[in-house]
Amino acid sequence: MSEKSKFFLIDCSKAADCCNKAQYEEANFMDKAKLYLHLAFCKTCRKFSEKNSRLTKLLHKSKIETCPEEKKQQWREEIKKEYAEERS
Amino acid sequence: MPAHSLDPNKWVDRYSDYLFNYTIVRVNNREVANDLISETFLAALKSAKYFKGEASERTWLISILKRKIIDYYRKINSRKGKAEVKINYSDDYNEGEWLEEQVADQFDRTAEDEMENNELGLAILECLDSINEKHAEIFKRKTIDGADTEAICNEFNITPSNLWVIIHRARTALAACLEKNWF
Repeated sequence: MSEKSKFFLIDCSKAADCCNKAQYEEANFMDKAKLYLHLAFCKTCRKFSEKNSRLTKLLHKSKIETCPEEKKQQWREEIKKEYAEERS
Repeated sequence: MPAHSLDPNKWVDRYSDYLFNYTIVRVNNREVANDLISETFLAALKSAKYFKGEASERTWLISILKRKIIDYYRKINSRKGKAEVKINYSDDYNEGEWLEEQVADQFDRTAEDEMENNELGLAILECLDSINEKHAEIFKRKTIDGADTEAICNEFNITPSNLWVIIHRARTALAACLEKNWF
């Protein structure tokens, strides 16, 4: 096999890596090309990729939010203070 | 020994996102939600001595939060006076057709969808409980907050390849957990 064609072939762990990056729009064109080529002949990774995209859709649909860090810090302090008073 | 014990200093890290997502869809106002969560934590501390350890910490906190949400609605309702039922006639011509107006539009499922999506969100957060706390934190920063890879790497002092390994594990665990609990 020529060096050039080897360049396009990736193993499953690299494919999983590309697939994960693609979920965050962080896979470049080459990554995606290699991933699709790999998916063409790897059933296991096709399954993984399907599941992974479905998870991305679910995460998006759920509209979960995290609380801002300042708010969390404020709560941490409130609890710490109150907890110390309760125990004393 | 009871099955569960309380660890108030971990409450914010462990449950604040869950409590927030639970509240926001019910009161639809960030300020109010934050206040209710704050009150919940303080009320929980006050009644910590009554915690029997039969329920998990989260279930217990949610039961307190539920009361706070109900109290909140009682308060704003009494401020407005008694609940009133209004019947709207769109105009004089259509007088008497109001009954049809009141029929629920079967294509309008927004409220139910919203509720279902919220439950999905809570299921996701619950699943994240079962993975390493730090990894869950990193996953949330990346996936929910949409933070840059570089920013997270600096924040947690890890390399990008560490980050992607953590993300990969978190996603695999999350997918497996959701498959079991959601579908």
